[in-house]
Amino acid sequence: MATARRNPLLTGVFLALTGVLGAVFLYPLVWTAITSFSPRPGTGQSEGWGIGNYTALAEFQAGLWTYLANSFIVSLITVALTLVVSILGGYAFARFRFRGRNVLFMATLAILMVPYATLLIPLYVILNSVGLQNSLLGVGLVLTMFQLPFSVFMMRISFESVPPELDEAALVDGCSTFSTLWRVLLPAVKPGIITVGLFAFLAAWNDFFAPLILLNDASRMTLPLAVANMRSQVMGVIDYGATSAGVVVLAVPCILLFLVLQRHYIRGFMSGAFKG
Amino acid sequence: MTTVLKSTAVKRGGAPGRRHAVGWLYAAPTALFVLTLFIVPLVLVLQMSASDWPLLRGNQGWNFPDNFVEAFDHRLFWQAVGFTVLYAAIVTVLLLGLGLGLALLVQEATRWKSLLRTAILVPSALGLASAALLFYVLYSPQAGPFAWLMEATGTTFLGTPTGALFSTVFLMVWRFTGFYMLLMLVGLNGIPEEVYEAGRIDGASRWQNFRYITLPLLRPTIALCLVLSITGGLLAFEQFYILTAGGPDNSTMTVVQLIYGVAFRGQNDLGLAGALSVLALLALVAINAAQLRAFRRPKEEN
Amino acid sequence: MHSLHRRRPRIRAAVALATAAVVAATLAACAPGSGGTAPADADIPAEGIDDGSTLTLWTRAPLQAQAELLVDAYNASHENQVELTIVANDDYVAKVGAAAGSGQLPDLFAADIAYVPNFVSQGMYQDIAPLIDQLDYKDEINQAHIAAGTYEGDPYVVPFVMDLSMMLWNKELFAEAGLDPEVAPATLQEFADAAKAIQALGKPGVSGTAAGLNCGGCLMFTWMPMVWASGSEVMNAEGTESLLDNEASQEVFAIWKDLYDSGALAEGSADETGATWVAGFQEGKVGIMPYPATLLPSLEFDAGLAGIPGIDGGASTFVGGDGIGISKDSKLTGQAWNFLSWLLSEDTQVEVLAKGGNAVSRSDLADNEYAAADPRLVTVNEVAAEGQLPIAINSQQAFNSPGSPWLTLVRNAVLGDGTTIVEDNAEITAVLDQ
Repeated sequence: MATARRNPLLTGVFLALTGVLGAVFLYPLVWTAITSFSPRPGTGQSEGWGIGNYTALAEFQAGLWTYLANSFIVSLITVALTLVVSILGGYAFARFRFRGRNVLFMATLAILMVPYATLLIPLYVILNSVGLQNSLLGVGLVLTMFQLPFSVFMMRISFESVPPELDEAALVDGCSTFSTLWRVLLPAVKPGIITVGLFAFLAAWNDFFAPLILLNDASRMTLPLAVANMRSQVMGVIDYGATSAGVVVLAVPCILLFLVLQRHYIRGFMSGAFKG
Repeated sequence: MTTVLKSTAVKRGGAPGRRHAVGWLYAAPTALFVLTLFIVPLVLVLQMSASDWPLLRGNQGWNFPDNFVEAFDHRLFWQAVGFTVLYAAIVTVLLLGLGLGLALLVQEATRWKSLLRTAILVPSALGLASAALLFYVLYSPQAGPFAWLMEATGTTFLGTPTGALFSTVFLMVWRFTGFYMLLMLVGLNGIPEEVYEAGRIDGASRWQNFRYITLPLLRPTIALCLVLSITGGLLAFEQFYILTAGGPDNSTMTVVQLIYGVAFRGQNDLGLAGALSVLALLALVAINAAQLRAFRRPKEEN
Repeated sequence: MHSLHRRRPRIRAAVALATAAVVAATLAACAPGSGGTAPADADIPAEGIDDGSTLTLWTRAPLQAQAELLVDAYNASHENQVELTIVANDDYVAKVGAAAGSGQLPDLFAADIAYVPNFVSQGMYQDIAPLIDQLDYKDEINQAHIAAGTYEGDPYVVPFVMDLSMMLWNKELFAEAGLDPEVAPATLQEFADAAKAIQALGKPGVSGTAAGLNCGGCLMFTWMPMVWASGSEVMNAEGTESLLDNEASQEVFAIWKDLYDSGALAEGSADETGATWVAGFQEGKVGIMPYPATLLPSLEFDAGLAGIPGIDGGASTFVGGDGIGISKDSKLTGQAWNFLSWLLSEDTQVEVLAKGGNAVSRSDLADNEYAAADPRLVTVNEVAAEGQLPIAINSQQAFNSPGSPWLTLVRNAVLGDGTTIVEDNAEITAVLDQ
């Protein structure tokens, strides 16, 4: 890229090409956002431009705020549990040798390899047997489990990429392994933590199938369920107004989070990236 | 370096047994989750696969190996396997190539590049189902913005087997490139600057830097990306379920769609679905074990 | 080494114990209910019990409007209170299946009438024969729905919401094409001619007709009535043999093939999976098509409506919608019956359903005061009594599911050269007869 910066023609070509690339990625979202306000027969906004699809969503069944609150609770539980479990687990796998280490690690990765839908029926039975049926906590536990392969792997490689001299020095100074983890290593793996937390949030926020099977009460349902319910009409017809409004409402918190957290990324990335 | 740590750590921690205990302590939450919410349900799936187990009536007793025989005899089984492998291969090549290429492209901290990085990342914020629905509208010959194109050419994006495959591949690339780019960035971030510094002193070219420094040091990240992408591709479901429903003419039927269909739409046979799931699991464990073995750093091989 | 040998068995024992406990719990919960249940207590009065109990009710999302209308009206006038749960359409069976397997079904649940024969035969509902027998309008309840919910002679399910397929046309486009907007096509050929005439207008984005050629449910819903109206059948009475290679069916497919070949079908019909199959008509861009009557209120232009014609005239409809029954897991049979008997009462059918612009499920109430305001609703209610529903336990797999043999048959017959109908039909029979 150094050359591109020097030659104005190349710079122009580079800007144009990457500009088109960026536009390709943004276009579908922008188009959907516009569509959600545009008129379309058979939707909440049938004539003229306006927020008809959004008011329909807001007033749907238990109301938008209930669904948003439930989604937030499930997402928070999932993010908190995923972070705790994967940081401790990643630390264990990266810095300790213990019996069964590889077996446990492979078993964790194997979670990825079973079709989601097949596992949910047994999970439903198990949550019922411990009294966690129809509860947001139960959904959070299940979603945490599905996040573990990615999160534990991610935290493991994050810890492994920290120079071992760092924590070794702390241990020599007499810190316990836990305070070494807490004070020395965590700041060093911040990009990994943010990535794991962010993707746990995204997965929990957008997940449809676990809440569908595990929750029964209308007052406990999460936003993706409400959007799915709004979108389907008789004979498999889809209400595109509700769909695009639902996609927008589901996406906005996630996109905001991305933008807010990006500042942290940039700092993290730049600390180790090349400068020329 | 890792070897140094491990030998000193073991020395410092006193008796090896204590280090084991501490290691297990940190791994315990993971183990608990894996055992109660994965291994136990998995045992139930195994039981299903060997039992006559209709969805609506529950377990009717053992029937091994009937479900497995039925799975191999299913009229769509081999077709679904073939298509799933093809799809996973295409998506993996594209996602890893684009993810790494774009990560290298946007790594520097210029304003333009961080804008670009944001643009590429934003689609990752959507749920896969939302993204698939969004593209369903986008590809629609009635409601989509490309209706004119389809009318002019007389075809539709999802109307032919090849069109449906690549329309879905485009959706997945749009949705997941940012995610893989992010993983690559985290991996690149883990490469110490001194290594490149050393390369520069030796007069290494850009390509040599990439080939002999970046790629080898990115091995764990690439392994993670490969595992995620191949596994995700082989378990592809929602994108096809929403965009094509396996059509046209079953040409985009994936293995998991077949499992879902057998379990919940039609036969309602959890036994057969369980058998298909077990087969998928065995295949994936074999593939991923081979991958991880191939990617394991020589140092750790003892 | 020592510790290893001592620890292993203990862990293994713990795993085995946990597994055994869960498996045992599952097995206990999965008491087999093979086909039907014992009849409900005959002591329950005709109007059921209204003692302030809380009832749970599940239904699928497409019927949300009607379900809320009914539940609100019931809750406002009864001691009993119904808690409604709406479930996404495509995943309703997964949800019900998970609950049924572990004895967690709600007191009442509705189901797509196409699923009902299967659900009933698997013992998901309670036998309500003694309760229905107490109703003096028993024989006026829509017979297609009752038949779908009958197993070994006993009824388990009553109609919840009716959804009928009707021939609808855009009056404005009809007039533009020089057709009489007030006269329904009497035969299938007249329907095809009308579609071609509208296509011939050459208006951009406007097509003669439309079909969901990759949507098994849509095709059953819209094309099977054409066979029935022609005086023929699509299946044998037992639902084990497909008859779609008979003369009438072949003629129906030939008419659609001709429409497709002549370009009178909307863009995208060939790969329409159901999500947008009515969108073109809703937007006023399709001239005439068989269409769900439930969507009538959402049309913003003047549309004509009639029963779906056959080859030589006649009229029929696919009696879709949802049936509802009391689940096998309910302990509140009397209270649940209170809701069902209220649902079927004249007051509810007329003052709640018909008032809200919906079809009624009793033939004696077809011509009520609200339907009279829109003569199209009277037509819907009247054709309903002549409509049919193909009843087969494996109907879902043979017809509805993506990639079903029915889809293969239709696609070969309409998009292909139309020479494989007999073989493809045998394939449907093979699935039906499993």
